[in-house]
Amino acid sequence: MILIRAIVRPEKSDSVLASLLDAGFPAVTKIPVVGRGKQRGIKVGEVTYDEIPKELLILVVPDKDKEFVKRIVMEAARTGEKGAFGDGKIFVSPVDEVYTISSGVREE
Amino acid sequence: MKDVMAIIRQNMVNKTKRALAEANISSFTATGSVLGRGKGLVDSKVLAAASDGSPEAIEQLSKGPRLYPKRLLTIVVPDDKVSIVVDAIIKVNKTGNPGDGKIFVLPITEAVRVRTGEDGDAVLD
Repeated sequence: MILIRAIVRPEKSDSVLASLLDAGFPAVTKIPVVGRGKQRGIKVGEVTYDEIPKELLILVVPDKDKEFVKRIVMEAARTGEKGAFGDGKIFVSPVDEVYTISSGVREE
Repeated sequence: MKDVMAIIRQNMVNKTKRALAEANISSFTATGSVLGRGKGLVDSKVLAAASDGSPEAIEQLSKGPRLYPKRLLTIVVPDDKVSIVVDAIIKVNKTGNPGDGKIFVLPITEAVRVRTGEDGDAVLD
């Protein structure tokens, strides 16, 4: 299993969640976060905002679905045709073990 | 060392804290409220409201699983304590119903104590 952390625009997270549901990946955890990226925040006139609100989506999926899920998240989270700065990032990490608490069993 | 990520019911945090303390796992990080959905098996309230004819509930049902507030605990422990933590969390949080939560175990390559700069398993005590 692999864990996918996707940092997306708050206004895009609903469409990402809907696309994931349609693609058969209902399970997801959503956390509101703030952050900045390569552009060092947003400069509006004299003021720089370097803590921009985003939403962190956490999914754990089987290894074989990695590319598929990445593509779904990317297509749903992108702004416009080409995308724009601030659309977010996707990080993928390995997961050693997964347990479902209600049954207490280890998932494969 | 491993990172044990546990997503549990909100009202189970205190019990889980106590159980971890009893198992000699003293340190952990709790994230405030997180939102989550699982396989969509938990919709008893929505179902009940929908059967009473509430239009909002019926609309929600048609959208598929909704997001429920949960708590996320992050516990970083040495490799040999992973099973102790996982067993303790499962024992306390298991009600047998969908929505009890999930536990993910992730590898961690390095841990550093900010105060002294030392690293390795020693910082996890």
